Amino acid sequence: MLLLFFLMAFHLPLFFSATIRPKDEVQQKQLCAFGEYVAEILPKYIQQVQVTCFNELEILIHPDGIIPVLTFLRDHTNAQFKSLADLTAVDVPTRQNRFEIVYNLLSLHFNSRIRVKTYTDELTPLDSAVPVYQAANWYEREVWDMFGVFFANHPDLRRILTDYGFEGHPFRKDFPLSGFVEVRYDDEVKRIVAEPLELSQEFRKFDLNSPWETFPAHREAPEPLTIEAGDKKGDVK
Amino acid sequence: VALPLSLSTGLTCMLVCRHHLRILYTKIIAVLQNFPKDAAYRKYTEAIINERFNMVKAEPDIEKLENKINSGQIEEVILQAENELNLARKMAQWKPWEPLIEEPPSDQWKWPV
Repeated sequence: MLLLFFLMAFHLPLFFSATIRPKDEVQQKQLCAFGEYVAEILPKYIQQVQVTCFNELEILIHPDGIIPVLTFLRDHTNAQFKSLADLTAVDVPTRQNRFEIVYNLLSLHFNSRIRVKTYTDELTPLDSAVPVYQAANWYEREVWDMFGVFFANHPDLRRILTDYGFEGHPFRKDFPLSGFVEVRYDDEVKRIVAEPLELSQEFRKFDLNSPWETFPAHREAPEPLTIEAGDKKGDVK
Repeated sequence: VALPLSLSTGLTCMLVCRHHLRILYTKIIAVLQNFPKDAAYRKYTEAIINERFNMVKAEPDIEKLENKINSGQIEEVILQAENELNLARKMAQWKPWEPLIEEPPSDQWKWPV
């Protein structure tokens, strides 16, 4: 009975609390103020500063500013982001610079996080963040392996996740889901063989469009129909 | 060779010496003198460093000093000063107060795409 009471008491608030994320306006103001502070100090590199709806501060920078911005965030007395939590990339093939490189930093001293984003294309090398954060070493190898973004001045840039002799960068949006080669055990030669993939044409057709509208809030208004004045017809007699 | 432990904490084997802090702060301010007067980095950093420098000058007791600065133990304050000095020297080369190098392509930061 007593146990049941405890269970009820423990679970009741879970049952009846609404599942709405509370808005933390104090934290949002702090993040905005810090974003403005950083943008004021480094106007040469920072293109845009934004705070997302879940209170995440994002700093969007020019690719030349990776080392200065990261070093500033690590060493400045009011920032002290000593820890690189994550480094990864996003591929958006429709853009002129298709890769977004994302750095997530953590300040243990101030218990806060910040996200730094920059961009590049397939050919332009980026400055490696290894001189600033040792942790960037394997992350950059991963980004190189998965996306094919080249990092200049990296001490040891080579594949990290894919198989020996693998070709291509699997996280690129134009990399086919089935890959280019097929690896299987061949009973005749008694070993693993890798051979180019043969797909019949019907398996190459992918219907990628979702029937649902993914971002209804960001729907762009359709362009209003404009009727251009036509040429004046001459009198037909 | 055993270094004398910090008088306040025994946290690390760093020699806590307020003289050390004074030297660091003087050096930082000297480096900042070379920056343009309206550079935001110089303005803000000078404010931080001067505030701490005055506290260090005024307060002889290390424990009270730590409470006043309110940025962790005195060893951490020394580390912060060392980092700031390194950063200021690099900033002199980077000149981050200059205008933006290049605007992004118009659709670069548009999301959702």
